[in-house]
Parts: sequence; C-alpha cells; structure tokens
Amino acid sequence: MIDLFLHAAMLMTTPILLTAIGGMVNRIGGLVNIGLESMMLAGALAAVEVSAATGSVAAALAAALAAGAILGLAMSLVVTRLCANEIIVGLGFNVAVAGGVRFLLKSAYGVSGTFNPPGVVMLARYDLPVVKEIPVFGAVVSGQDCLTWFAWFMVPITAFVLHRTRIGLRLRATGAAEATVRAVGLKPLNIRDASSVFAGAMAGLAGAHLSIGVVGLFNEGITGGRGFIALAAFYFGRSSPARTALGAVLFGFFDAAQIRLQGRGMPAELVQTLPYIIVIVVLVGLGFADLRRAREGVV
Amino acid sequence: MVAAFAAPFWRVAAAAAPFALAACIGAAVLAATGHDPLAVYRLMVEEAFGGQRRVAATLTAATPLLLTGLAAAIAFRAGIFNVGAEGCFYLGGLVAAVLGYVMAGWPSMLLIPIALGAAAIVGGVWLIGPALARTRLGVDEVVTTLMLNFIAVDITSWLVNGPLLARGSANSATLPIGAGAELPRLLPPTTLHLGFVISLALVALFGLWERLTAAGLRSQMVGLNPRFSRAVGIDVPATLLSMMIASGLIGGLAGAIHVLGLVHRFVAGFSPGYGFTGIAIAVLGRNSAIGIAVGAVLFGALSSAGATIQLFSDVPIEIVEILQGAVMIFAVAKFGAGRRRGAAPA
Repeated sequence: MIDLFLHAAMLMTTPILLTAIGGMVNRIGGLVNIGLESMMLAGALAAVEVSAATGSVAAALAAALAAGAILGLAMSLVVTRLCANEIIVGLGFNVAVAGGVRFLLKSAYGVSGTFNPPGVVMLARYDLPVVKEIPVFGAVVSGQDCLTWFAWFMVPITAFVLHRTRIGLRLRATGAAEATVRAVGLKPLNIRDASSVFAGAMAGLAGAHLSIGVVGLFNEGITGGRGFIALAAFYFGRSSPARTALGAVLFGFFDAAQIRLQGRGMPAELVQTLPYIIVIVVLVGLGFADLRRAREGVV
Repeated sequence: MVAAFAAPFWRVAAAAAPFALAACIGAAVLAATGHDPLAVYRLMVEEAFGGQRRVAATLTAATPLLLTGLAAAIAFRAGIFNVGAEGCFYLGGLVAAVLGYVMAGWPSMLLIPIALGAAAIVGGVWLIGPALARTRLGVDEVVTTLMLNFIAVDITSWLVNGPLLARGSANSATLPIGAGAELPRLLPPTTLHLGFVISLALVALFGLWERLTAAGLRSQMVGLNPRFSRAVGIDVPATLLSMMIASGLIGGLAGAIHVLGLVHRFVAGFSPGYGFTGIAIAVLGRNSAIGIAVGAVLFGALSSAGATIQLFSDVPIEIVEILQGAVMIFAVAKFGAGRRRGAAPA
C-alpha cells in the first residue's frame, strides 16, 4: 500500500521536477517563465504523434524536446529582442498554444479534446534486480522510466554546472548583473535565450512523460496546471536545485495524494491549492526574514 | 503641426500593430490547414459587427473585459503588476450567485446593489494580502497574485462541487439566481444587459479620475517614479495598497456582473481567462479609458465572432484563442527597441 503510493508519488514528481529545473535555470538566467505550461503541452502532443507514427520512444522524446525548445526559443526572442514583458508573453503563449493544439487536433485529426492514435509506444519502466527488493527505497527507485531517472540525475548535474563551471557562472551573471556580462564582451541576451531553450526542452520532456510515460494518449487538459506547479516549485527552491527538487517532490506527493484522498471525504480541489498556498507562505516568510535582517543591519 | 498629427497616428499604429501581427499568424495557421484566411476574417468581421444583434453580442462579450481591463490598468498605472483579477472574478461571481438565490425574494433595487457590492468587497479583500506583502515585505506581487488565482479557482470549484452544489444538478454549479437579481436586458432579443452600461460608466469614470483628480495624478506618479513620489511627500505604500484594493474591487464586480447579467448562476471554471485577457487589454490600451474601451470591444468581437464562426464554416473555434494569445504576445513587444539599444553606448 505505502509502496504503491510512494511509487505513484515519484511518478507524479517527474514532470514537475523536469519542468522546475528548466524554469529554475531560466530564472537564474533572468527570465521568469510563465509559459512552461504551453511547452509541456506541446511536448505531450509531439510525443504521442511521433510515438504513434514511428513506434520509437527515442524519436518521440526527441520530438517532445524539440517542440518545447522551439517554443522556449520563440518566447525568449520576443522577451529579449522585442523587450516584451515576460509575464504577459508567457500568459499569451499559454493561451495561443492551448488554442493551437486544439485547433490542430480538430483540423488535422478530426478529434476534439482527446487524441488517442493506435500504436503509441509507451516509455518502458525498468525493474532494478536487487534494489527492488529493498522495502520503501526499492518502490521509489525501481520500476521507474528513464525520464524519472534523468530528472533526478539532472539535480546534481544542474547544481554542479551552475556553481562549478564557466557556463554556470556566465548564466548566473546574466541574471544578476547583465551590464557586467556585456562589459566583459559576452552576449547576455544570447545566454538568456539559451537558458529559455533549456527550460523549453525540459518542459517538453515533462510533457512527454505525462503523455507517453503515464497515460499513453494526449488530452488537452493533460498538463493540468503542472507548469504553474513547477513555477511554484522553483520559487520554493530559490535558485537551489536541491531545494527545487524538494519542492517538486512535495508537490508530486500532493498530486498523488489528492487522487487517493478523493474517496475519503477530503476534497481534491482543496489539496490542489496546497502548492500555491505553500509558495505564498514561503515568499512571505522570506520577506519577513529580509525585513528582520534589514532592521538588524540598521541597528 | 505635422508632429501634432503624427503623434496620435503613431500611437494608434502602435496599438494596431499587435492585431495586424496576430492576424498574420492566424492567417498562416488557417492557410496551412487549408482555409482561406481572407474569407474567414471577412466572416469574422461580419459576425462581430454586421447588424444590431451581432453588435449587441459583441458588446455583451466585451462587458466582463471592460472591467477586467480596468482592474489591470488601475494597478499597472500605479506600478503594481497585479495579475490577480481572474481570481477576484471567480470569487465575485460566486458571491453574487449565492446572494442572488439566497435573497431571491428581495426587491431588485436592494438585491442587485447588495450582491454587486458584496462581490466587489470580497474581490478587494482578496488582494489585501498580496498588497501588504508587497508594500511591507517587498514580496513580488506577480507570483502571489498569480498563485491566488489558482487558489480562488480551486476554492470556488470545491464550494460548488460540495457545500453549494445545486440539488439534483450533476454539473458543478450553484442554483440559478432569482429573477429579481437578474440585471435587466437592454435590447430584449439579445443578451446585452445593464452590466455593459455599468462597466462602460466605470471605465469613463476612471478616465475622469485619472485626468482630473489629485489622487489620479498621485497614483500615476507612484507608478512612474516611486522615489520621486516619496520625496515630494506622497505616501507610496498607501497608494499602492489602495490601488491594489481598487483593482480587486473591480475584479470582483466584474464577476458579479457576469453572473447577474449573463450566466445567472455560478458554474465552476466559468471564466475563459477574462482576467488574463484584461491584462492584455490594459497593456494595449496603455492604461487609458479609451484604450480599455476599444480593446475590450475588439477582444469581445473576437470571442463573439468565434462563437458563431464555427456554425457557418468548418474553421475550429480555437482560431480565436490563437489570435487572442498572439495579440497578448505582441501587445507588449516593442519593435525597433533592440536596434535602439544596440546603437546606444552600453
């Protein structure tokens, strides 16, 4: 029972974690990405289409990654080159891509809402021979798909790249001191665009995890606001990959819990509000901490 | 002389450019899927503006957008990036719907103002939290108000699925409001209702307030330059707080008018993003009363045309969302800005 729940919670964490890492990197590079939801949605659809057409999971993942990355680049170019407000552009991408996806489903496949082509190949789940026998830990780690492992693998990798490499330094400098980056002869806008492409690619993979990793079809509501939950996770994480992962796990557990709590008198709608409430509480708490520090500094 | 004529021309051109660019993107989508873009656009214009009934439908669709546009503009002017009108719209709508059926026996003259007022207050109270967090603690209001939207949507959908679910009703909605709570129709066969007049009047009032009153000037100064405003003795936090509450009041009122005027009950998920469209309208209209009115009518035309276009052609209604999203994206783009910056010594 507990093993089943933990396994489900890990499964729900994966898309949030992938997207949150991308969004965190994007934010460190100086762009708050509200459009992650649209990139997830595009990735989910691309994965189903390509998986059904080619029968290849690798091709499906590549397509989802590309779909998200292209949207990420498009959004980033509007923000960095046309000086547009990132929040409004992100909201606009969510509206336009959601409409575009439904438009495409109706005009190209003649379906509305759900697209379930024959021959969708799902992501394989791998049982780890010895590990799966370990209680609790086995349920968490074994029997997962490659994207879940990839998502967790990316947590230390992102931390390493951000703090121990030249690329990471340049990215952090782009977000924190754009003028300085320009002064030393680098192109901060290009670096920022690259971080958006990365965010889009990660969100695209997250979409693929939802469509060919969990359900095996595409539905227009498949992302269900997870792009915004991911936003909550990386605001919770405050530029730290480890804390962002903690946020993603927490929200993934809520996601898995709400399904189970529905039959027990606990309304799912109220459980769904938890990630958003937690983020507001965390932000307000940080605000109080800053205030206290400022007062002590003055005295 | 020439400059005096040129300036308004460029301002109109700048406001029209996002629509033109969005139309190009929409045309590309339509052409790629085997439709004739010009024929589709002509049909949309006819559906939105051809004849009294169509215009009435467009103005009905513009009604909630007038107020959500105003809610966004009043905050943006003061330099607060409030994206929380959507949540206020939901809460205001629910409050008005509940009062509309609980107090169904009351006379309209009392019931309607009470329902509208209560909804507005709930909307205003909803945004006090993020406003205080911003002014006292410096917490970014974009994230808090965005998150509050989802919380409002979830809370209202929980209420109508549980405690307030209409008996015998399977779709998550409240009971219909009493006849006395309905806002009167203006052109009876059409759905145009008194709410349109109220909304337009509020936008006009805002136009007078921002141009003619000291408070209007103060809030604009706070938006343009908070440090200067503080130096000349304006209470910046109080101005931000009151503009945020005003924004919430209007957002709540928008939801109430939508319920009392058109839907006549609260249904879970009843806003197709009116709060977010309002943000685009405020940006396009440069936070001015006339800009908000024109923007609301144009977006209203898009959605009313979209609702009927599907009946007369095989174009999916989602073309409207593609156009709306594209307008939002280009509404905030500054063309030529990149080149200017490149030319300036960095």
